[in-house]
Amino acid sequence: MTERALVSRATMEIATALATGAAGAAVMWGSIEHDIGWGDSGPAAGYFPFRIGALIVLGSLANLGFALWGRHEHSVFVTAEQGKRVLAFALPILGFVIVSLFLGMYLGTILYLFFVMVFQGGYGPIRALALGIAVAVAMRLIFPLWFKVPLLIGPLEAWLGLY
Amino acid sequence: MDNLGSLFHGFGVALTWYHVALMLVGVLLGILVGVLPGLGAPNGVTILMPLTFTMDPVSAIILLTSMYWGALFGGSTTSILFNIPGEPSSVATTFDGHPMAKQGQAVEALSFAFLSAGFGALVGVIVITVLSGWVTRFALRFSSPEYFAVYFLAFASFIGLAGANPVKTLVSILLGFAFATVGMDTISGSLRLTFGFDELLRGISFLIVVIGLFGIGELLLTMEEGLKFEGVKAKVSLSGVLATLARLPRYWVALIRGSLVGVWMGITPGGPTAASFMSYGLAKRFSRRRANFGKGEPEGVIAPETADHGAGTAAMLPMLALGIPGSATAAVMMGGLMIWGLNPGPMLFIERPDFVWGLIASMYLGNVVAVVLVLATVPLFAAILRIPFAIIGPVIVVVCFIGAWTVGASKPDLWFAFFFGLVGYVFKKLDYPVAPLVLALVIGDKAEDAFRQSMLMSQGSLRIFYENPLVGTITTLAILLVTWPLWAMLIERVWGVRTARVQPVDLE
Amino acid sequence: MRLAVIVAAVAALGASPAPLSAQEWKPTKPVEFVGAAGPGGGTDIFARAVQLAIQNHKLIDQPILVANKGGGSGAEAFVYVKAATGDPHKLVFGTSNLYTLPMVAKVAFKHTDFLPVAAMVFDEFMLWVKGDAPYSDYKSYTAAAKSANGTYKMAGALSKDTDQTLTRYIEKDTGAKFIYIPYRSGGEASVQLSGGHANSHVNNPSESVGHWKAGQVKPLCVFAKERMPKGAKVTETQGWSDIPTCKEQGAGIEEYQMPRTVSLPPGSPQAAVEFWAGVFKKVSETPEWKEYLERTAQTGRYMAGADLKAFIETDEKRTRKVYEDEGWLVN
Repeated sequence: MTERALVSRATMEIATALATGAAGAAVMWGSIEHDIGWGDSGPAAGYFPFRIGALIVLGSLANLGFALWGRHEHSVFVTAEQGKRVLAFALPILGFVIVSLFLGMYLGTILYLFFVMVFQGGYGPIRALALGIAVAVAMRLIFPLWFKVPLLIGPLEAWLGLY
Repeated sequence: MDNLGSLFHGFGVALTWYHVALMLVGVLLGILVGVLPGLGAPNGVTILMPLTFTMDPVSAIILLTSMYWGALFGGSTTSILFNIPGEPSSVATTFDGHPMAKQGQAVEALSFAFLSAGFGALVGVIVITVLSGWVTRFALRFSSPEYFAVYFLAFASFIGLAGANPVKTLVSILLGFAFATVGMDTISGSLRLTFGFDELLRGISFLIVVIGLFGIGELLLTMEEGLKFEGVKAKVSLSGVLATLARLPRYWVALIRGSLVGVWMGITPGGPTAASFMSYGLAKRFSRRRANFGKGEPEGVIAPETADHGAGTAAMLPMLALGIPGSATAAVMMGGLMIWGLNPGPMLFIERPDFVWGLIASMYLGNVVAVVLVLATVPLFAAILRIPFAIIGPVIVVVCFIGAWTVGASKPDLWFAFFFGLVGYVFKKLDYPVAPLVLALVIGDKAEDAFRQSMLMSQGSLRIFYENPLVGTITTLAILLVTWPLWAMLIERVWGVRTARVQPVDLE
Repeated sequence: MRLAVIVAAVAALGASPAPLSAQEWKPTKPVEFVGAAGPGGGTDIFARAVQLAIQNHKLIDQPILVANKGGGSGAEAFVYVKAATGDPHKLVFGTSNLYTLPMVAKVAFKHTDFLPVAAMVFDEFMLWVKGDAPYSDYKSYTAAAKSANGTYKMAGALSKDTDQTLTRYIEKDTGAKFIYIPYRSGGEASVQLSGGHANSHVNNPSESVGHWKAGQVKPLCVFAKERMPKGAKVTETQGWSDIPTCKEQGAGIEEYQMPRTVSLPPGSPQAAVEFWAGVFKKVSETPEWKEYLERTAQTGRYMAGADLKAFIETDEKRTRKVYEDEGWLVN
């Protein structure tokens, strides 16, 4: 029973090694703004970051080498089926983040829960909406009102004078 | 004995109906803030602080510390149920706690966590009671080289050289260290690796990384496997809790080792986070059941929890006697002490014995109250797992992002949390261990500060780490632990004994 | 339908109700006091003391929340409050770091971005040595430090901040050289001195009072023009007023103090600035405030309006000069 690979493991290993390598390079680049030497009074501000960055780059190159030339069976990172499930979960989260940034977390939460429950959970719209609103109300009670921790609000709340 | 007399006096102060009521309220509020990742003990204490202005200091500190105990217990709940540690010190609880919950042993995992935590806390208070004077003098001997050696020891006991993929482990640790250097550098007073972004001024928040790597990352993995939370069939009842209590004594080695590590790290400035990682690392290395670690082994819950609470409790002593707060919450409380007109310091024990011993007595009572209350909530929390995943999954997502927002009320943090969620998913699938990354992030900057302070002191000479017997011993222990695989091999060769064969500490 | 409501709401944004008329500003939601330092330190206690006085005398009718944002040596708090442009419910509580931080670190704010409301106290600085150290005054200690050829360690809070600046002043004054070791807070520095891991520090009185009481550290002198006001005894034999000034012991440093300031975000209405200045004026007259000053051994001096602006300008210029000489300036 071989499942179709959406992304092969080797591809993902290469991509990850490149990404960590880039992160290491960024760390090195950011630290040369400071002194990277070992002065009279021990290591300067850039000493550790620079070397950490350099080691990350080296480690990433090694991982890249393993991924490109190492012996590994043709293993799978995600199958098409798994990929679909993950995306079905991750994309609504992405939507939630974007909506929250513009409309605030309360509306973001209601819309997100509504969407996920109706289109993925197969619940009725009334129940989904009720749950979304219930969660939003609980958020409002617990965070800004009881514990005085304001949440991200959007234009609607600002207009209503809520905080 | 002098201290025991004082303690009985303290019980006299703490054991009033009013104070017991305050403990109940404090613990309950604490559990609430501890369970929600966006809130923590510091939030709770900040909120209650204005109320305490009108109370007398003993009542005030009882309320605040009870809240702290409650929050510590509550924090383990989300670690076990959803793989979301609410505080740095409960990260290690996820390693075996969450697998247990997934296998339908949520009740056992929670009960083990709470009971062993209570045990650790009790040992911590007993040490405070018996050794308060000695501990204070001992803590004063710690300077930057000793601090560094303690962090090094904690790291050494958790990180094994014989990991499954050493290069990936290394990259993961180094990324953690790199994240830890972001922000203001205490030693030079300049900003590092912020790349001009204001959001990076305060550094990369532990909570956001953990919410992403552990919380969101875990949810993505769960979705991929097409799993719902299993274990809903497990019977949830108080008798399950009691059955666990009966099984606890079997793990006496883990309990005692955890308490010792915890108390030691609480007195030395290692703190609860380092303590829990260290205890887990040691348990995994030396336990007879080490092969099961990471797959849902109760000992893997007991070890970090005992140490975490042992350290959290023992750390109250340096706070009172020296004025060095061992945690964010303790720091907020210290501000409170000043407002109530008390000066933390060695004289507090002499000037205000009623306050100090009332507090210590309340730590015994408060922890007992906390264990009982939190055990009573186990069926409630375990019941959350019966909610269909289509509902609870998205709700957890929302709670995660609220947590990310509350860290600094900054919009890019939401993106960071999402990003770290993807990183957590990919890293887990490709066998990049994430736990060492978190440990490096939490203690990396403190270790760097301590190292560079030491170098300032010695004008660049590394000999300072062997300057006196104390720092020399800790450094040697740490080096021994780092190189343990070599020693184990040697012992086996020479004596032919099968020693604690080093299991690759599979850091997940 | 629901969507229509939201669209209407968004559309109405432009026409949102105007704030109260300029004369009468009043807080309409919970107020946030943002401390530009970690919890438990001088800034935190300052903010809480103000909170306590306001609360006990019901000076405003909204709850107050004290939040400490000590990231980036306090830069986090300033960035956070700067982002709350035009919202006078967020006040940033700081010290001279309001204008010294932007000099030494690449941060995206200037002190002129904020609307200073009041300076309420000036914290004193003292020269402290270990309790059993053989020094009795400024001269004998600095002379010993000088002959030790730069091996004496001065502990302090943070880098390129008040403590290190004062250390430089002392070095210039006496020719002694210190190894300055920065810790995260004055409290940590004090513990290091108590344990004998440093030779001295220049903590504020409140940061070391606990260790002084226990005889682990002792103050040699205070960097002020005059001795501190008479008060209760702190140790068995001495009170704050018994500590000589460094000047009377022959130091060339006239005085060194750190203001504790409160500022509003940019774009706040002038009425709000005046409202808060009025509240803080009342705070400075409460008995709670007097007790706070006495307990923390600080000098109460209320300053607002044009006086405050002038003070900040002069102090900013003076500090800038020192930082320039040290090569600390980045902006």
